[in-house]
Amino acid sequence: MEGAEDKYPTEPLKCWNKSKELRLKYYQDYVEAHDKGGLRWGGGAWTFDAVPAGLGDDVYPITSEPYGATLAFDKELSLECMEASEVKGYPRDLCSYMRNYWGSIIIDKFAFGYKDGEFMPRFAGAEPLPFPKPDFLWQDHICCSHAKWYQVVSELEGGIPTFSVDNAVGPAHEINDRKIKFVVEQLKEGIGFLEKTTGRDYNDELLYKAIRNHFVSTSKWAEICELNKAIPAPLDEKSIYSLYVFGTLQKAGQQVADFYEKDLLPEIQDRVKRGIAAVPNECFRVMSDTQPPWSFLKVFRYLEKFGCVSVGSLYTFALIGQWEVKEDGSWGPKTIPDVEFTSREQALYEYVKYELHKPEWQHFYSCHLKSDMMVRIAKEWKLDGAMLHYNRGCEGLSVGIAENRLALLDAGFPVMAFEGNNADEREFDEARTKAKIDAFMETLGAK
Amino acid sequence: MIEQFKEWEKNRHEYAKEWKERTGGKVMGYFCTYVPEEILYAAGILPVRILGSHEPQDVTEPHIFAMFCPFCRDCLAQGLKGRYDYLNGIIIAQSCLHIRQTFWSWEKHVGVEYSKFFIMPHKIQSKDAAEFLRGEMEDLKKEIEEWTGQEITQEALENAIAVYNKNRELMRQLYELRKEPNPPISGEEAMEITMAQQMVDKAEHNKALEELLAKLPSRTDRPSGTRLMIVGSEDDDLTFLNMVEKCGGLFVIDDHCTGSRYFWNQVIPEEDALMALSKRYINRPPCPTKDWEERKRIPHVLKLAKEWDVAGAIIMQQKFCDPHELDFVAIKKALEDNGVPTLFLEFDVTVPIGQFRIRAEAFLEMIGEEDLF
Amino acid sequence: MITMGIDMGAKTIKVVILKDNEIVAKSIVVAGFEVEKMAKEVIEKAMSEAGVTRGDITKVVSTGAGDKQAPFYDETKSVVGCDSLGAAYIHPAVRCVIDVGAEEGRGMRCDETGKILDFEVNEKCAAGAGAFTEAMSRALEVPLEELGALSLKATEDVPMNAQCTVFAESEVVTMVHNNVPKENMAKAVHDAMASRITSMVRKIGFEKDVVLIGGVAKNVGFVSSLNADLELEVIVPEDPEFVGALGAALAAAGWKGGA
Repeated sequence: MEGAEDKYPTEPLKCWNKSKELRLKYYQDYVEAHDKGGLRWGGGAWTFDAVPAGLGDDVYPITSEPYGATLAFDKELSLECMEASEVKGYPRDLCSYMRNYWGSIIIDKFAFGYKDGEFMPRFAGAEPLPFPKPDFLWQDHICCSHAKWYQVVSELEGGIPTFSVDNAVGPAHEINDRKIKFVVEQLKEGIGFLEKTTGRDYNDELLYKAIRNHFVSTSKWAEICELNKAIPAPLDEKSIYSLYVFGTLQKAGQQVADFYEKDLLPEIQDRVKRGIAAVPNECFRVMSDTQPPWSFLKVFRYLEKFGCVSVGSLYTFALIGQWEVKEDGSWGPKTIPDVEFTSREQALYEYVKYELHKPEWQHFYSCHLKSDMMVRIAKEWKLDGAMLHYNRGCEGLSVGIAENRLALLDAGFPVMAFEGNNADEREFDEARTKAKIDAFMETLGAK
Repeated sequence: MIEQFKEWEKNRHEYAKEWKERTGGKVMGYFCTYVPEEILYAAGILPVRILGSHEPQDVTEPHIFAMFCPFCRDCLAQGLKGRYDYLNGIIIAQSCLHIRQTFWSWEKHVGVEYSKFFIMPHKIQSKDAAEFLRGEMEDLKKEIEEWTGQEITQEALENAIAVYNKNRELMRQLYELRKEPNPPISGEEAMEITMAQQMVDKAEHNKALEELLAKLPSRTDRPSGTRLMIVGSEDDDLTFLNMVEKCGGLFVIDDHCTGSRYFWNQVIPEEDALMALSKRYINRPPCPTKDWEERKRIPHVLKLAKEWDVAGAIIMQQKFCDPHELDFVAIKKALEDNGVPTLFLEFDVTVPIGQFRIRAEAFLEMIGEEDLF
Repeated sequence: MITMGIDMGAKTIKVVILKDNEIVAKSIVVAGFEVEKMAKEVIEKAMSEAGVTRGDITKVVSTGAGDKQAPFYDETKSVVGCDSLGAAYIHPAVRCVIDVGAEEGRGMRCDETGKILDFEVNEKCAAGAGAFTEAMSRALEVPLEELGALSLKATEDVPMNAQCTVFAESEVVTMVHNNVPKENMAKAVHDAMASRITSMVRKIGFEKDVVLIGGVAKNVGFVSSLNADLELEVIVPEDPEFVGALGAALAAAGWKGGA
């Protein structure tokens, strides 16, 4: 098959190396926290991470899903982890990030370590460290696996103090004072738990700062993704995967807010201004859905030979990014609340009120809400079709996906559904998926 | 002995249609036992649990991805095939992710006058959960009032609670009888009764239960077998229970949402009826989706095993049921640590009876032998 | 113009040679382990049947699971694309094509030119492909080619849960123990498989006419079960296993529907 011809200029991202360093530093900080008298904690990518930030500047998280994905990227270690979880009796159809994470604890091997004193991933040659046990667990719960994930982590580690917050209080259009307060009350109780568990006094100023960072990270990320409405798209989804991850690591972290606001956003604005394409032969624009099969990201490169670029997904745009409908009816970044924080109660209230609008939380209440957002993306990002990853590794994001497919078809967008697994490579069939892509590209009219 | 219950279970649709004609009331299908039925009942609505039919089908593939449980697909098939065409509304309470897909597809492709996704909190262990749930119930009550055009009076609500409480009390009495060395009722029969309980007007069920409870003590043709417990997800697989009981087992207790979890605890009346109702749903034996941070199902299940004096437990779950997969490893260990051997089985729409019989027989033989040593 | 289509299927290799869009030769062989050698042989056979040499052939399109293993070709084209092209050539009123091969079932919707509008592939599940009937014929101890005719004699429907071949095999064992007559079991096998395929086809939605192709289309028992399930009569072309190769040869000729 002949490739489509280049039409646009392209160039690598300038902040690419910085992003790699940031990511490595995140895991290194976690690993080394105790050496400096700091604390480390575990929780999910959606957890209210601004809250533990109030314990001090030396408190470092490790979020479970990105760590599960990191493991998936290390195929050899991942397989060892999966098998270890299976030996303990956990079924293969459970969340594959979770099985990776548990496995890493069971075999007591971390995905990072040192080589000649330098911190690096195991697959890059480091001797893996033992799994650095968190001091406490701080989780949210909207997906059935969330709080249960850490229930098991705590059991596997012989008991780690755990606090999980129920944030499944209803869709954005039904948010009311009662719903917000239920979450706020839990967070307040959680602060008591944190103080008791760590023996530290809680600092509200640090909480306020972290909530502000959270607003910036989630809103600026949306602004970056909005720029991908441009033709040619300045970013392709494979690159987006390496960038959205900061929001999943520590959205309330200063370094993440700064990176999005001060490095990435200006650079992407500049790319749009200069017409720099992520994929120089861009002819067809598609989106995906749910996490990709992490060990087969090359599938996205395969698309490029047809001149097809995946410009993103509701998943990459809005797993962490916060959006709102603008005056002209289009989707844009959520406005950062213009409020002074005057008390813990009030700050938490603003935080929760903002966060409950997260687009990727809405389909837990109705898949039709997600369908509407997907159709919106297909229209506003000017797409030719969609490739939906029926992801056996994540029930939380695959829930309702078949109805999403029907809705996209109804709206006139061709859809290719392909089965796979975000972190269990045994469930992804590369040859078959490529064959499916070939056929799908034919339906889109690619040669 | 249980003909009436069996009749209701087998002819569930005819019953509901007949009820509708007789009373002129609305019928509401529900997908999860966390739905506060008392509010519906107080509004003169008949709540009926939507269950599958255990037949292979090919209509749900466009709607639900195959990695989700067979139960949610079997239920949706009933809707798509028009078997519940008499429903005026559907309601689901927030629990697992699987079954809510049935609700969504039903809402869009089957269509009903009224549909409600009721926000049942997950963190029932939170000190604030009951208050929150009370508020959600108040909103639901208002919505139902608007829909039916009739106020739900305090009296109607209290009456509904009384009828439901009576039902729970009678069911507990029935289950108490199963503690006897020679229980007057088999597991399969008990399942027929619990299933019927979720399909018919509780007042009628109460009446039939009272009659049954009067007759049971003098029952002479009592079933016998190795005392077993069955623990797990939604389960209305009569064929399976029948098979195990024919192989020499006898189910004396269960922990299913189609079984004991549904009726175990009562509403403890207080002045604020909605608050009393809320606390009942918060404090009932939990579904695994809500059993955190502490695992409270374990002491409950162990207590059942001990009090009903079981020789072994069958742990079953719907294939791909994530919530139960997140529980059974810990439950299996707890049971075994407490001297209760277990057999784990995954259920599909139809179960491979032959394959399961071999395992059930081996399991019964295994736990039977223990007595020799 | 002379063109060739090669369908490198999972179990068999099919070759079709066209002269001015008319079939002049077709040939099939079991792929076995020496795929490339067998492919060469079957191509030779087709060329000699057509009386042409390699040099006479303007263009060759290869398709199927092993399309790149063909000894020579100018282009590859997806199986679903070839299937619908071939089906539209044989039966222009086709709007839905179902292809049930050895290892995979596929469904596609197409327009009158054979262009695909939507498609679905039955992934990683033998219960919707020829391999399932093979396994079941072993379990029932009935030769594969007799299984279809046998099931037409069934007197009763026996439900079977065919989510996977392993479970299905154990269900057959149960049926044997329950003395279910073999013809009823044979029908249960075909009903289960048809149900699997129908499920997949419902996903893309279907309208008439429906053309059934692939090796399994020759199984009358399966066709009967599928018709009952879809509530219509599928059209089975002569030589249904050659339709993919035919489509490939048509693609090589640049055929886009019509005469």
